[in-house]
Amino acid sequence: MDILVSILREAIAPTTAAFALAAIGLNFHFGMTGLLNMGQAGFMLLGMYGYAITAREGGPIWLGVLVAIALAVVFAVVLGWPTLKLRGDYLAIVTIAAAEMIRYVGRSQNLNSLTGASTGIRGNEFKGSFEMLSPFPDRMVEFGPIALHGSQSTSWWLALVGWSLVGLMVLLFWRLSRSPWGRVLKGVREDEDAVRSLGKNVYSYKMQALVIGGAIGAIAGIVWALGASVQPDSMGRPTTFWIWTLLLLGGAATVFGPVLGSILFWCALVFVKGVASAVIPDTILNTQQLEPFSLTLVGVTLMCLVIFRPQGILGDKKELAFHD
Amino acid sequence: MTKRIDRRAVLRAVIVFVLAVAAFSALSALGSAAAAADATDVATTVVTADAVDVDAVTADAVVDEEDDAGGGSTGLATNRIAQNVFNGVVFGLLLALASVGLSLIYGTTGLSNFAHGEQVSLGAMLAYFFATQQPVSIPLLPVEFTIGWPLWLASIAAIAVAGFTGWLQDRFMWSKLRKRGVKTVQQMIVSIGFSLALLNFLQWWIGPDRLRVSTSIETRRQIGPIQLGDTTSMSIGIAVVALLAVGYFLLRTRLGRATRAVSDNPALAAASGIKVDGIIRLVWVMATSLAALGGILLALYDSGTKFDTGAKLLLLMFAAVTLGGLGQPFGALVGSLVIGVVVETSTLWLGPDLKYATALAILILVLLVRPQGILGRAERVG
Repeated sequence: MDILVSILREAIAPTTAAFALAAIGLNFHFGMTGLLNMGQAGFMLLGMYGYAITAREGGPIWLGVLVAIALAVVFAVVLGWPTLKLRGDYLAIVTIAAAEMIRYVGRSQNLNSLTGASTGIRGNEFKGSFEMLSPFPDRMVEFGPIALHGSQSTSWWLALVGWSLVGLMVLLFWRLSRSPWGRVLKGVREDEDAVRSLGKNVYSYKMQALVIGGAIGAIAGIVWALGASVQPDSMGRPTTFWIWTLLLLGGAATVFGPVLGSILFWCALVFVKGVASAVIPDTILNTQQLEPFSLTLVGVTLMCLVIFRPQGILGDKKELAFHD
Repeated sequence: MTKRIDRRAVLRAVIVFVLAVAAFSALSALGSAAAAADATDVATTVVTADAVDVDAVTADAVVDEEDDAGGGSTGLATNRIAQNVFNGVVFGLLLALASVGLSLIYGTTGLSNFAHGEQVSLGAMLAYFFATQQPVSIPLLPVEFTIGWPLWLASIAAIAVAGFTGWLQDRFMWSKLRKRGVKTVQQMIVSIGFSLALLNFLQWWIGPDRLRVSTSIETRRQIGPIQLGDTTSMSIGIAVVALLAVGYFLLRTRLGRATRAVSDNPALAAASGIKVDGIIRLVWVMATSLAALGGILLALYDSGTKFDTGAKLLLLMFAAVTLGGLGQPFGALVGSLVIGVVVETSTLWLGPDLKYATALAILILVLLVRPQGILGRAERVG
């Protein structure tokens, strides 16, 4: 019973919403355009820094969000400019390297007073202005079996905002993927040369997709940061790989795939940990080993998904997005 | 595209790089409190930027440059610079052990293997597993036991087991995927999943702590301006012998020639009677064994290892392989040496926490200027 409640809590948690948002961004890159962005965590981290630093220095919320998005846009343009003309896996290597560089620079001692180096920026330094807006009471609020705080950190307020943003982005993806613009992107994914021969500027379309997906990634970073804190090491390579796993799980190139994938991914993690700690005796698998054990399963899941069902749960076999 | 470096590409690279340096300098200026520190910070960043810029074009320039810079400074500084360059060469040699395998795999199968870093950690972890006097166990088995073999035996066993994992992987996964005609991009994501699984498996198995493979304390001797430990000099010897053996294999033996043929053009190689699948299996075994050897030697060199050591090295390996030219084993060697030297010497100017970032900067720069790498053939890559 406890497991069910914690699964339910995980399903509506702001972190789940944040990962759903990041996966929607990645869906613009990979699902729609076929770009191999292996640095989505870098976009998220930029968003986190942009928002948190602006808010800490006393800037209003809208400015923080603008700064976050602007950083992501610049990052996308700088990355995309030289690499979008090369073969797909070059973009993968460059994005993964650039995302790691953001993390290394962010945690460097040289920038200690700006980014807080490896300790990052604590939540209470930048969350205030957002939490002030909360319409919920400033205490624990029970709603059904789940108890969350009304306004602080992982709160009903943040869950509401996070999932509203997810809804908005799903709507955006749905509209754009059915627009003439989205059809060109899908064309780029399927056959770049064919689209080019129709007189479309493939490079520019790819860049637009990279920028939009990156900006959504930055927003995902803000939602994550408001639920936890800004910690550069929480946005390393594994985070990007998790986003990939949950996108492929839900189904790339589908409207609800990222959302379903995110919910399933986090619920499954909680479920596996809960069951494993209840069923497997402590001598074989102690609590310290539980986390790596369940993440090993995540890796195996990703492998099996890509090999046996690359279209994911909701995807269409005909609309496979793997192209060289 | 000719061998000549594309001028527009250079321009693009320079602009991106200047922007990056400017952004970083501006951030540093914002970040550091003291105004005096600012000035030096900005200046040094620019200096390193220049140094890095040069490396991308020529491999050896960096060594010369460091020497020149050393000659101009005081005796103490010379000492430090020489020591750093030397450390860089050692690190580069050990890195080369791992990246040569990565490059061979890329050359023969076209796969960017993201799990190669974990193969490096696996080697070190296995060596620890066989050599340690502490009780060890196997996941999901509630028994603890001690093996405690001497280090040389443990290392050989570790390399053998690691090579066997390469054989297993190719036998039961990669060969099947190739036969099914799975795209290389799809295979790349499979390798990402594999790396995630292996990384966490290692953490689950051996634990999150930093481990020492060898507990003996090495004696350090002063040779000219540099300090050199006994273990380190032995590691250099082993690494050089292993790399020479790989070179001999590739250039002088029939199998090596067949490997290069597959690397050049698999279809043509198959048509001329080479067993492509057998060669690829051999390459996997070789690559994983070399990675394990590299992992063990690095663990001795750094006097410690962790489950994520290899994962941190993966991007350095990619940088080295790309710098030397994807799929060129000798390019990987040159690239590794350059990356090693740059990573170690960059600590003179930037903090040690940024040393891997410089290697990644080189990686991006190379992709901007010369995507085919130093030794790579100029061909259309886009």
